[in-house]
Amino acid sequence: GPGAARPPEPSVLPFLVCPLSKRPLRYEAATQELVNEELGIAYPVVDGIPTMLPEAARKVPARPAEQH
Amino acid sequence: VYQVFESVARKYDVMNDSMSLGIHRVWKDVLLHKMNPSPGTLLLDVAGGTGDIAFRFINYVRSVRERQLRRKLKHHQNLSWQEIADSYQEEAIKPLGDSQVVVCDINTEMLKVGRQKAEHLGYSEGLSWVVGNAEELPFGDEKFDVYTVAFGIRNVTHIDLALQEAYRVLKPGGRFLCLEFSQVTNPVLSRLYDLYSFQIIPVLGEIIAGDWKSYQYLVESIRRFPPQEEFKEMIEDAGFLKVDYQNLTSGIVAIHSGFKL
Repeated sequence: GPGAARPPEPSVLPFLVCPLSKRPLRYEAATQELVNEELGIAYPVVDGIPTMLPEAARKVPARPAEQH
Repeated sequence: VYQVFESVARKYDVMNDSMSLGIHRVWKDVLLHKMNPSPGTLLLDVAGGTGDIAFRFINYVRSVRERQLRRKLKHHQNLSWQEIADSYQEEAIKPLGDSQVVVCDINTEMLKVGRQKAEHLGYSEGLSWVVGNAEELPFGDEKFDVYTVAFGIRNVTHIDLALQEAYRVLKPGGRFLCLEFSQVTNPVLSRLYDLYSFQIIPVLGEIIAGDWKSYQYLVESIRRFPPQEEFKEMIEDAGFLKVDYQNLTSGIVAIHSGFKL
């Protein structure tokens, strides 16, 4: 229902890239984020909707090994 | 612009009906007929928050697919029961035949309204919702067969960027389609239209949605939008070819079309 966390629609994931660099993203199910490891930013999936706005993203370590 | 849309999101559909006297449905139907999508088409609908174009696309493709399957059955009179059952199952599993529509809007609220509508109407398959900026799309190059923007591009700050992004995400051979308010061609109608826009629409906005200012903004954004020929040139500047437009309702709206060739 509304307000509950839900995963993104799987069929959309292959289309998505980082809006800034247009490079592929890694979907992190644990944090419900789409991560651009090169730039070190993560876009949130809010209530199942990938929110692909740079202003909505948070900075994450730019190294692939580390996750938050 | 964002706050305008947060407040109009919920009442959007009701307002569209009152403002255009229900004609907006016809305009959107014409857009779909012009698109004439076949099953397997990948559609990106930008600024399409509440899902009007997406739902029409799904209905259209579903009925094309049904007709295809029915025709196949009719031409093969000597099918075994197994083959007939397989055909029906194919229709049940893939009613859209691999077609997909991604609805992209900068406003989460509009998308949530669209998703709720989809759930009520029973649409789930092949439909996804993404928050994104038309000037900076979060989609890879050459992913979509068709890009549509209905009554959304006039609210984009840098229309040229949106057009360039549209070009980028379309596959070669892909089609750009824009349905938008335009310049009325008939001078008498033009005067009446002005009266309607500036006197009546904001009043309706206040009565129905309790929001005069947002609807006044909408009316002004319509006035600022380039006329048919100028917008055609902008689309060509983005690289599209065979660009043309079709006036509807004496130019109150126009459908612009272009191809990435």
